[in-house]
Amino acid sequence: MRKEVFESPIGESYVKAVHPSGLTVYIMEKPQYTSAYAVFGTKYGSIDTKFSKNGGETVAVPEGIAHFLEHKLFESEDGDAFTRFAKTGAYANAFTSFDRTCYLFSCSDKFYDNLAILLDFVQSPYFTEQTVSKEQGIIGQEIKMYDDSPTWRVMFNMLTDMYHNHPVKIDIAGTVESIAKIDASLLYKCYETFYNPSNMFICIAGNVDTEKVLKQIEGGIIINAPVTIERGEFNEPEEIVKPFVKQSLAVSMPMFCFGYKQKIKTPDRSLKTKVCMQLLLELICGDASPLYARLVKDGLINDEFETEYFNGHGYATVIFEGESSNPERVAELIKEEVERIKSDGIDKKLFSAVKCSMYGDAIRRFNNVEEIAMQLIECAMCDYDLFEEIKLLKTVTSDDVLRRLEFLDNDNTVLSVISPKEG
Amino acid sequence: MSVDITRLSDGVDGIFIRNARFNTTLISFNFYMPLDKERVAEYALLPFVMTTCSNKYPDFSKLNYKLNKLYGAKLEASAEKVGDLQLLKMAVSVIDDKYTLDGEELCAQACELLMSLIFEPKAEDGAFFEEDLKREKRKAIEHIRGEMNEKRIYAKKRLIEEMYKNSPYGVSKCGTENQVQKITRKSLYKAWKELISSAYVRVNVIGNSLPVGLFESITERFGEIKRENITDCFNITPTRKAVKVKEITENMDISQGKLVMGFSSRTYGDDIKTAPMLVMCDIFGGGPYSRLFTNVREKMSLCYYCLASSVRVKGLITVDSGVEKQNADKAKEEILKQLEAVKKGEFSDFEFESSIKSITDSLKTYDDSQSSLDLWYSLRISSEKAVSPQEMSELVSKVEREQITDVANGVFLHTVYRLMPEGA
Repeated sequence: MRKEVFESPIGESYVKAVHPSGLTVYIMEKPQYTSAYAVFGTKYGSIDTKFSKNGGETVAVPEGIAHFLEHKLFESEDGDAFTRFAKTGAYANAFTSFDRTCYLFSCSDKFYDNLAILLDFVQSPYFTEQTVSKEQGIIGQEIKMYDDSPTWRVMFNMLTDMYHNHPVKIDIAGTVESIAKIDASLLYKCYETFYNPSNMFICIAGNVDTEKVLKQIEGGIIINAPVTIERGEFNEPEEIVKPFVKQSLAVSMPMFCFGYKQKIKTPDRSLKTKVCMQLLLELICGDASPLYARLVKDGLINDEFETEYFNGHGYATVIFEGESSNPERVAELIKEEVERIKSDGIDKKLFSAVKCSMYGDAIRRFNNVEEIAMQLIECAMCDYDLFEEIKLLKTVTSDDVLRRLEFLDNDNTVLSVISPKEG
Repeated sequence: MSVDITRLSDGVDGIFIRNARFNTTLISFNFYMPLDKERVAEYALLPFVMTTCSNKYPDFSKLNYKLNKLYGAKLEASAEKVGDLQLLKMAVSVIDDKYTLDGEELCAQACELLMSLIFEPKAEDGAFFEEDLKREKRKAIEHIRGEMNEKRIYAKKRLIEEMYKNSPYGVSKCGTENQVQKITRKSLYKAWKELISSAYVRVNVIGNSLPVGLFESITERFGEIKRENITDCFNITPTRKAVKVKEITENMDISQGKLVMGFSSRTYGDDIKTAPMLVMCDIFGGGPYSRLFTNVREKMSLCYYCLASSVRVKGLITVDSGVEKQNADKAKEEILKQLEAVKKGEFSDFEFESSIKSITDSLKTYDDSQSSLDLWYSLRISSEKAVSPQEMSELVSKVEREQITDVANGVFLHTVYRLMPEGA
């Protein structure tokens, strides 16, 4: 395997290796730790509803199929992966998000046995009509659970009214109707496209021996001819669908999700943009900002208030969410603050404080093997160096941040509200 | 190895866990008060008022600015129930000095900041300030009202309220909306006085080194306070077997129902006694090898989740699941059937061994997380020595099959709570 070592000024280091199959492997040794965390993932998520393989015809698949496949991959002809992990005592799980599906385990003992199980079950699909139909029942229950979750609904309602065509607006698990269309042959079709090692990565952090891990991976990866995947084009307009959406659910007070749709020319954002946007959000309404103080003093937000620069392949949104007796007023004040910073510029003292805080947060993340593994996944997905953020935080200027304020267009926003049911 | 507890003052203990793997230091003050229906709301509000302002940082924006300058030091405040006690936690976590860009002394500043928040609240003439009280009361009321938003948590909360209707454990950890409304500037200040004079206090410090002078300074601060009527942490009331099983159904406009069941357990108390209970509960409904997961979810497809958990200090076991209305009775029946199977020892060696391996493996990972260690030690106050996660792991590895069935045979259904969609 082709290996490269990355070192940081804070004393951490990791190895990136590329397997001849195209699989990328990231390992950060943490010998002082008791446990280790390993993830085997594919660049395949809920937004991959249209694709073509090796230049062939574009195919459309049912919404929620990536998540369905994740559930089904745990099963093989001779039992399920949970049973195998039960024998070692590891904690195993998986998750599907918009752009990735990850299988993981965490353990403090028998790491190499667990890695063997992980490598094996992710590479051994076994789908039959019978097992597919059983899963439709379980996932149907999962979908219903999310239908009752106001925090989930408020976000997806916003995305639905922000994106015309991009599948980011679709629930990750799909709908009861869409998953009914899934069958074993469709699952195999998706598996054979996206679960090719050239589209996959393994990220490990913790008490492991890099050389031993790499050797095991070399012996455990099934080499298939690499594939080229063309992701579907969704011709997403720059404008939102409509600026306001409201749903009633059994909640105690209104919940809101207010988002700015960023007009993007290219599908992906650079790390520098992501760092600058996080700084910008802290400047607009982080807990030391004047707007945050006003919102709290006016009784408009509580500790549930959060912000996020939500972005992935083909979408980028700046999100403010929380609970409020008056969501419209919160949105109005955010818009005013964006305008104010546009005209007055950035408060240099506050900028230096939030930069310092983000620097501390970046260091703090090396405290936890799970966090490290999650960050390594970001590196694998976006192909950047794990220590780049720390370096950027030393050099980024308030002008870099200010320039990106133009991504927030007050005429291109959506306010989603979940209001309490009456009566 | 057990962790040594250092007596810092009357009813004030300190634990230092030296752990070189972390790049941060965590200093956590834990105040324990008896759960009292009349006072729970006032005590619960205190950590939140105390961590948003102090004499030195009268404005929360200034306080947050200072935390940013301390490289994003994290202040944590919470109010929880631990058996029949109320735990009020205030903690700070800060990155080690060696990572700063200009050699600042972060840890010393963070310790001083936390001490100032606890011992020098922003108050005058024996009362907190109206604006701070009003702000935190509003947030607390919104939080209490918001407990209904996530139905799974809400259903579990309602089960506990019904199951312990006339005992302290039945109170909500933040009190009721009405109780919060009644808190005044003066009554809250009185509660603060009681907290620092009569709470049992445990300070957990986890990091590379014990901050210089921290324990001495805590001793000095508490030395200035008249400590009296200190909380007795050894007084535990177990859950008694129900004379008649209580069944409660409530309706809400939701699409998926929740079925939550509460069981009393004859086994209760500290780690040494309850290691078999931990394994029993896990075989019943813990991991994916458990009776509930394999039967109720996988074989019968009755629910997406069906999990058992225990509050060992109270001798309480709960099972919670998300089910369709028409399947609720069937699920209940199946859950009880699986409990009967565990009682009769009808669990396989695979289930037994998987459970032991899973629990011991997960206990060993506690040393890799400061917040897990803090939580672990803040729940272990009712014995002279605090058992470490490693010791608990060893205890669990020695549990035998007969001990599981013994524990299971002392487990009885007490209350069933259903939160169901309205209409047919």
